[in-house]
Amino acid sequence: MSLKNVLENWSDYRKGHEQGGHHDYEHMWVMAVDLDKCTGCNACSVACYAENNLAVVGKERMMKGQGMHWLRVERYWDEPQIGGDDGQFQSAGGSFLPMMCQHCNAATCEPVCPVAATYHTPDGLNAQVYNRCIGSRYCSNNCPYRLRYFNFFSYYEESWPEPLNQQLNPDLSVRDKGVMEKCTFCVQRIRTAKDTARREGRAVQDGDAVTACAQTCPTQAIVFGDMLDKESRVSKIWAKQQVELGKTKQVKANPELRGYRILEGLNTDPCIMYLDRVREV
Amino acid sequence: MQTKDINENIAWAQINADVLRSMESPRMGYWIAVAACLAMVACAVVAEIYQYQIGMGVGNLNWPHMWDIYIATFVFWIGMSHSGTLLSAILHIIHADWRKPIYRFAEAMTTFSLMTAGLFPIIHLGRVWNMYWVLPYVSDRGIWPNYRSPLVWDAFAITTYLTSSALFLFIGMIPDLAICRDNARGWRQKLYTVLSMGWQGDDRQWRNFRKIYLLMACFLIPLAVSVHSIVSADFAMSIMPGWHITSFPPYFVAGALYSGCAAIITLFIILRYFFRFDEYMTIPILEKTCKLTFAIAMVWSYLTLIEFASVWYGHDLVAKESLMERFVGPYSPFFWLMLFCGIICPFALAIEKMRRHLPTMFVVSLLLNLGMWLERWMIVTPTLATSHYPFAWDVMWPGMVQWAIVFGSFGWFGLLFLIFVKVFPSVSMYEVKEMVFHRRHAHRPDLAAKFHRRSSDQQPGDTASGQPRPEGA
Amino acid sequence: MRRYYVMGLFSNFDEAFAAISDIRDHKIPGVTVDDVTLKSPIEHPEIEEILGDRGSPVPKFALFGAIFGAIFGFFFLAAGQAAFLVQPSGGKPVIPLPSNIVLSYEMLILFGVLSTLVGFFISARLMTKRHPLYSEKVSLDQIGIMLELDEKNVNPIKDLFKEHKVLEIREEVAR
Repeated sequence: MSLKNVLENWSDYRKGHEQGGHHDYEHMWVMAVDLDKCTGCNACSVACYAENNLAVVGKERMMKGQGMHWLRVERYWDEPQIGGDDGQFQSAGGSFLPMMCQHCNAATCEPVCPVAATYHTPDGLNAQVYNRCIGSRYCSNNCPYRLRYFNFFSYYEESWPEPLNQQLNPDLSVRDKGVMEKCTFCVQRIRTAKDTARREGRAVQDGDAVTACAQTCPTQAIVFGDMLDKESRVSKIWAKQQVELGKTKQVKANPELRGYRILEGLNTDPCIMYLDRVREV
Repeated sequence: MQTKDINENIAWAQINADVLRSMESPRMGYWIAVAACLAMVACAVVAEIYQYQIGMGVGNLNWPHMWDIYIATFVFWIGMSHSGTLLSAILHIIHADWRKPIYRFAEAMTTFSLMTAGLFPIIHLGRVWNMYWVLPYVSDRGIWPNYRSPLVWDAFAITTYLTSSALFLFIGMIPDLAICRDNARGWRQKLYTVLSMGWQGDDRQWRNFRKIYLLMACFLIPLAVSVHSIVSADFAMSIMPGWHITSFPPYFVAGALYSGCAAIITLFIILRYFFRFDEYMTIPILEKTCKLTFAIAMVWSYLTLIEFASVWYGHDLVAKESLMERFVGPYSPFFWLMLFCGIICPFALAIEKMRRHLPTMFVVSLLLNLGMWLERWMIVTPTLATSHYPFAWDVMWPGMVQWAIVFGSFGWFGLLFLIFVKVFPSVSMYEVKEMVFHRRHAHRPDLAAKFHRRSSDQQPGDTASGQPRPEGA
Repeated sequence: MRRYYVMGLFSNFDEAFAAISDIRDHKIPGVTVDDVTLKSPIEHPEIEEILGDRGSPVPKFALFGAIFGAIFGFFFLAAGQAAFLVQPSGGKPVIPLPSNIVLSYEMLILFGVLSTLVGFFISARLMTKRHPLYSEKVSLDQIGIMLELDEKNVNPIKDLFKEHKVLEIREEVAR
């Protein structure tokens, strides 16, 4: 029976990412982050902590590199192309880069997981199944962006002392030690949006599902939406920047366009486009 | 100077007696060694229990250092296991009969170092209790392991290798177990009766034995190569600069044979000293092993240097940065120590005076293995320290918990080996008999006297009488 | 007619070799070299040659096991992957050949080894009771020649053995 399945669907099962893959996507959730609008206020990160029950590990463990910040706002004070060590440029303020899981369509973390705890959903999400994870940590090693965080301890024991545990988001679980976790694009909100749409007998509209970071960003630097919906804000931004999914090298008519994806050359096909910061040099 | 691999006049009964003696009545030193090994294992057990209870963070593992010396030590032990295969299988196929007195303990080493290596991927899992999820069992939920993952390849390869090498060790030991059975009393007799499986040395058994031994050797050689290539695939299949290197599979295989051979020299000297196996584990055999080690060391050195060269000329900036970080970064003292131990030290093996001096060889072989352990560490850790993403660059030093478990693994290996040498014959009796038999037939005293290797050597039946030496000796 | 097992123990291969050669040359009518079982403490291909080509089926087991392992391995993996479609990973196909080749190769060797082992146990008749005439001296340093004979041939064989400086002769009634 299984053998029959293999032989009948052979050519379908042999399709990789370049041939369009085996699955048809229902949605393709993507993001656009305008770095020019980012003020580095870290509100997105805080929202993520609140929304996704991220463990607060304390200063000491954070310093040791055992923190759980799914969305980290990276600060660069010292970029050579904007003046390097020049103090004047530094006093003008750093550059900020909010980094969360890039939900790569050809994710390097996925094929290396021995138990298939991380896989690609028909929504175009890079999902992590906590219950299946055995903690081999290979995915984190193989993530070129280093966006996967491991529960080195049972953080929940100290993270939310009474009565703080009352503020935990009931829509998703609290993770125990030995499990890898990372940004999910607030999959619980996507689920809710899809369920609501189905209940109301309509398609998911742009704005139904918004991630906590996109919702919180005071300057609206983060835009989240469905790429397959041609009318969504995010797909318009992508189109305007002439960045396309599934391409290693973007061909741009106008070199002034700011859209880029991080480490695109590695062919990971990330789903987050960043818009470069414009600075006076 | 002793130049013969073995004295061809040893009586067969003497061989039996000598080897069986080594298995009897452990002395005080043996029990001290067992106690020391147990203490080491206890360290690791305590550390592992602590880590199990609290979490993986206790050994200083962090982001981005998700792997550290557990994986390095895993690769190290897998590497050690390649020696047995080399000595028994490859040298068996090419009919190098000097392997016969020493291959048994080398094979035991293979099996035990695999049993040690296999513990590390398990220990390093965040959720150890779910480790069986890596195995392809039929689940009613229709879930399978991810066959794309090199870690699953590891699981397959190690299982296959452990099964095959343990069987190879066992098959090769059946005739010897029969000898033990015929000479043992009490619980030992029961044990050997079961294990020797009714071996009675008739021609049907020997004929099939010869076949299976050759076939197993033929299976084991490609298996050993594939196992360490797969271990290297853990790194080479990843996208990390410093790991994603095409020459890793041969590099790992060479490194494996290298550390395995060095370990054979170490154990050779230990066994020779404590069991007084001077008649069997002779200096000429040690010399041959040393020469083999030297040759492999040079292959390894070449592959090390070519790795640097290919990264350098490949001009992938990230990989280059990662390489430079190893040369001059925070881990560089260990990196240079590794190069010293791995490339410079083996030249001691090329010098005959040192090769024949047991204490020197003992130290050198330990240094070689230190170098090989450092090599694995220098592959795993600096790469994680310097990756594609500069924001995640970090230097981490392993904590006590990790060191304790690595330390304990040596005790575990030692314990298994100590049990082995007292329960099973650590020199192959039947094959030494064969060796002696064939050498006796091939021995021509007149020719030996004429073409003796060194002019300064004492010649048989002639006590330095100052006769003219033949040329071309 | 009763049948007997007779075993002579020799101190070296040359004597044993000569004795078997005599049997091979039909020095004793009715006794052929096929009745001979040679027992030795070491493997000795040369002396087994004069026993005639008795063959060994072990390589066939190895071949069968290896072929089975490779084919079964591949389809076992592919069937598992095809039944677990939730797992499209990292842009790789459902059935990726490179990784399946690696694992099929391991299965080839694993099944090859196990099958060879089974073949060895069967064809070497291991895990059976030792022969009543088994002598511990064979595991030490003597070579035994054992024959299964009719009663009339027992004495001629003993004489032949004695001619070749046999050390010890044992006999037993065959059942």
